[in-house]
Amino acid sequence: MQRDDASGPLRLPSPGKPPVTEISSSRHGHQRRRRPSGEPPPLPRELNRAAIGWLIAFVFWAAIWVWVFLSDRAGIWITEFDLRLMAPVVDNRVAWLDSVMSTINEFGTHWFVALIGWVTLLGALLARRIRHAVLLITTLALTAAAVTIVAAEIGRPRPLGMTRLGDWEGFAQPSRPVALLAAVMVACTLTLVPATGRTYAHWTTGIVLVIFGFAQVYTAVDHPTDVAAGASVGVALALVFYRTIAPEAVFPITYGSGKTAHLDVTGARGEAIRRGLRRQLAIEAIEIEPVGLEGSSGSTPLRVTAADGDVLFAKLYARSHLRSDRSYKLWRTLVYGRLEDEQHFTSVRRLVQQEDYMLHVMQRVGVPTAKPIGIVEITPDREYLLVAEFLDGAVEISDVEITEAMIDDALGIVEILWRSGLAHRDIKPSNIMVQDGQVKLIDVAFAQIRPSPWRQAVDLANMMLVLGLGSSPETVYERARLRFSDDELAEAFAASRGVTLPSQLRRAVRADGREMLQEYRALAPHRSPVSIQRWSFRRLALTGWVVLVAFFLGAVFISNLGDIGLR
Amino acid sequence: MKPRCDYGGLLRRTAIITGSIAAGLLAVACSVQETIPAPGCVDGASGLIMAQSVPTASQLPCFTQLPDGWKVVTVNVNQDRTVVTLDSDRAGDGAAVLRFEERCDVGEAVPAPGHLGSAQRYDLVVSAAPSFEGRRYYVFPGGCVWWAFDFDSGTSATEAVALAEALVLISREDLNASVRESFIDEEI
Repeated sequence: MQRDDASGPLRLPSPGKPPVTEISSSRHGHQRRRRPSGEPPPLPRELNRAAIGWLIAFVFWAAIWVWVFLSDRAGIWITEFDLRLMAPVVDNRVAWLDSVMSTINEFGTHWFVALIGWVTLLGALLARRIRHAVLLITTLALTAAAVTIVAAEIGRPRPLGMTRLGDWEGFAQPSRPVALLAAVMVACTLTLVPATGRTYAHWTTGIVLVIFGFAQVYTAVDHPTDVAAGASVGVALALVFYRTIAPEAVFPITYGSGKTAHLDVTGARGEAIRRGLRRQLAIEAIEIEPVGLEGSSGSTPLRVTAADGDVLFAKLYARSHLRSDRSYKLWRTLVYGRLEDEQHFTSVRRLVQQEDYMLHVMQRVGVPTAKPIGIVEITPDREYLLVAEFLDGAVEISDVEITEAMIDDALGIVEILWRSGLAHRDIKPSNIMVQDGQVKLIDVAFAQIRPSPWRQAVDLANMMLVLGLGSSPETVYERARLRFSDDELAEAFAASRGVTLPSQLRRAVRADGREMLQEYRALAPHRSPVSIQRWSFRRLALTGWVVLVAFFLGAVFISNLGDIGLR
Repeated sequence: MKPRCDYGGLLRRTAIITGSIAAGLLAVACSVQETIPAPGCVDGASGLIMAQSVPTASQLPCFTQLPDGWKVVTVNVNQDRTVVTLDSDRAGDGAAVLRFEERCDVGEAVPAPGHLGSAQRYDLVVSAAPSFEGRRYYVFPGGCVWWAFDFDSGTSATEAVALAEALVLISREDLNASVRESFIDEEI
């Protein structure tokens, strides 16, 4: 099927003509096209070459283990090969090097893994990289499990006919300390080192492993193939786990002011965004740059400049945004209970669909907001770009002097939301823009249709707090009385308190210094605070479950500290 | 303010995450326990590594058939010693621990007629009732093997005798000869 344009009528292809995938043209003169079956998306999800290489090394060793397990002869050949390889080293030991190598063996076997492991774990927790912390533990656990299970099946003794100078434990193949050291060093790099410093970190890992591996052979604690197999297992497992579950492209390691939710839009992703915009929305982007990052924590907002001079607004959503939001929700659920009846987003696709839909709803009911343009799929189910009108020249309301007209505009928006049975649920300075003196509401991803009365009351209170920051509560309250009753205003501030304020608004109110909430409450008729604690069997069960899980995991973790090299 | 999640999803996800981590850690715990099989006298898989743990020892321990109710639960081997822990359905978990080391301090143990070739046996009864606790040492050139028994109350000390009879000492020369014959021309 073909379309004349994006919104035009359907037209069947002429008989005899080959099927085409281009389905529309746009005002930019480019062609929108459907992605044919088999064609990769703009940013395919794939392991990088290093991870694949180490995975192949792992498979190679797995094949060797199977061979040795099935054939005694294989074990003899490999042992003879190993002993021939290490004999020149062991037979030519020199006294001064013996103690050095023994020390390296002792340090690497007993201390190095624990030291790097704890530094990585604490660093990840301090940087709130819970996913990386969990991955570290899981990687070490599975590496330890893999090498101990294989070692038990292979049952290889330590090098025969040689005097051992170092510490060891259990069977030799694959080398457990080398595997754990490799895993923990790769995990440390991928948890704590930003992408720009990875090359040096990986070289450091390689050098440390070579030195430690040589010490293992020199002290006749391990055969050369024990060291090689151990390194392959540790590096492969760590790389594959981290690249799969916490890829740098989605969970970037950054320090300083950058929020973890913000994604790098240069490199492969930048190219993918350009390709996606061109193919899916027929927009030729010549510049893509982050915009307003300081006010955004749930997505990566972008300004896209098109070849024809148009400027567009785009928001990049990835799974990291879903997950950080989920953690926030879990915390809030445990602390406050079921404040309102809502469902979580189970996929990035649904989240971006919701925002696109809510932009349309807002347009329909007359809330001034950015016009939606479309959605670009970057990686199926994992990464999407929402494209909307760029509010050219608009500035955050906290950056302008607030006039009575703006106050009326802003309160009018809340009135429309109330009348239309909507709630924005994230009213804060960075989501209220002023363009040519007109107030506009943006970031409607978490807006809701038919919300609870409590939620609508909170929207009003938050809007009045934002307006009060740039003027005075008295002025805002007087203008609000023109649209809302005293009872409604009293309800708004009875429902509002610290937790109901988005964090940016909470910080702004605190920095302002005035007791703004109290001032509003003093202006409004007295009304008892609306309790935000909701107790239910479900909340108790969830709290119990979380405590139980934490206790169980803590107990299992502590009891296995030694086995995974952390003690 | 952002939307809340449903409880079912949270429970499911936390169950998956918990399960994954716990499975990984438990796999470690189990695999570590299974790392070294009990040192049998027929196949030498763990015998070689045990022999390497005390390179000076002229005699090496191994087990024939364990008495009913006894099982080896952990075998830890390193550059200093081998420690074998056994559970019993009557004497309790960890009721017997066998250690193989270069030397041991027999303390107040008294010499007793040995049944393991040239090894000198020493016995020490720490407590006979209400629960049996005792030591049995076999000392030989370059090494020592000793039992520590700590039974649950009500368990007869004859359990210790039956278990100790399952222990055999073989000579290092015999094991070396076996390695040369079936594996490679090297000493342990």
